[in-house]
Amino acid sequence: MNISKITFLVLFLFSFVLTYAQEDLFKELDNDSIQKKEIAAAAFKGLQVCTMQSTKLASKGEWYFLIAHRFGDLTEGFDNFFGFDNANTKIGGLYGVSDWLTVGFSRHTLDKNYEFSAKYKFANQEVNGFPVTIVGYNTMDINSQLSEDEFPLLKTSNRFAFSTQLPISRKFSNTFSMELNPIYIHKNLYEPLFEEVDNFLLALGGRYKISKRISINAEYAVRLNARKTNLYHNPATIGMDVETGGHIFQLVFSTSQAMNDITYFTNATGITEGKGIYFGFNLYRVF
Amino acid sequence: MKAIKIIIFLFVGICIIFSCDSATYDEIAGEEVAIPTYNNNVKSIISNNCLSCHSAAGDQYPTMETYAQLKEATEKGDVICRIDDQSCGSVMPQSGRMPQTNINTIKKWAANGYPN
Repeated sequence: MNISKITFLVLFLFSFVLTYAQEDLFKELDNDSIQKKEIAAAAFKGLQVCTMQSTKLASKGEWYFLIAHRFGDLTEGFDNFFGFDNANTKIGGLYGVSDWLTVGFSRHTLDKNYEFSAKYKFANQEVNGFPVTIVGYNTMDINSQLSEDEFPLLKTSNRFAFSTQLPISRKFSNTFSMELNPIYIHKNLYEPLFEEVDNFLLALGGRYKISKRISINAEYAVRLNARKTNLYHNPATIGMDVETGGHIFQLVFSTSQAMNDITYFTNATGITEGKGIYFGFNLYRVF
Repeated sequence: MKAIKIIIFLFVGICIIFSCDSATYDEIAGEEVAIPTYNNNVKSIISNNCLSCHSAAGDQYPTMETYAQLKEATEKGDVICRIDDQSCGSVMPQSGRMPQTNINTIKKWAANGYPN
């Protein structure tokens, strides 16, 4: 089966999930007065596990302002002051259109990238009911760094790249949650020698609470169809959530400096000869 | 609720339409030039990928704003090694390896004796 068939199949299956989920929501409305199963508390406190998205959405009408940095290579020491000389920035906002839909927009230093995102909930984990929370997540990247001086035949569509994700999470106890996330990434512009045009990944993330306000997070993704000639590595990140009033503050150590999902998952530089660890943080402010 | 549904379907629809449209850097770089020159081919690559740091404003050594500066950095410095095989240091540009077509253009330019 070739790639375009697989793509078609995946999208086709997703469209079923979408209609199914909507029926489910209506059903929930009908059952409301009779009996409602209690929704389990959120598996993740932050909207991201580390860099990967969690299954948390904004509530209806909530605005989030987000700012994130990934500094340069930590291991270079004083050469770049542990990476602080080469920071990448992400700045953006998110809005909860409804309790099951969050839309977002952000700008990244890397590739002067604009990222649009949509996150929508299919199912909630319930106490003594449905076992997992399922959400869908899509991003669309627009690379505004590419220029026609450099690439004379550049078309607008060459700037786009897309990711489709299906994070599934389960809160196992008050302190421990896990997430499994199948990912499909398509790049409209790619380098055939050392990257793939269609990328399939399986990511795993977890959160362990060590005190009332602090938790340790980790995530790892396996690239399922990367060839031997692919220059990049599977991304891995460990991090820490700190809750402070209206903020959620996440400190991370990552093997990828990128923050947009597409580059993060498919173009992680990885650790080679002890080099390539990037320190950074995500900061969310709720309004 | 209805409007939201329409937005989602539009979004998914747009994704599907554009998904069919893939190109490589090689394909959009235009025709391959046998003897690339600084002004016609190399300058645009350098200014888009290097000059945000390697310029007087960016203050990163070596400065590569002019033909003479770039020639010197390529001839006597590590430019080709850093953008290609990285045997002498981590990859440049810092955001990640350039498309191979760009690397090849600069290598060819050097091999032909840095035509201006």
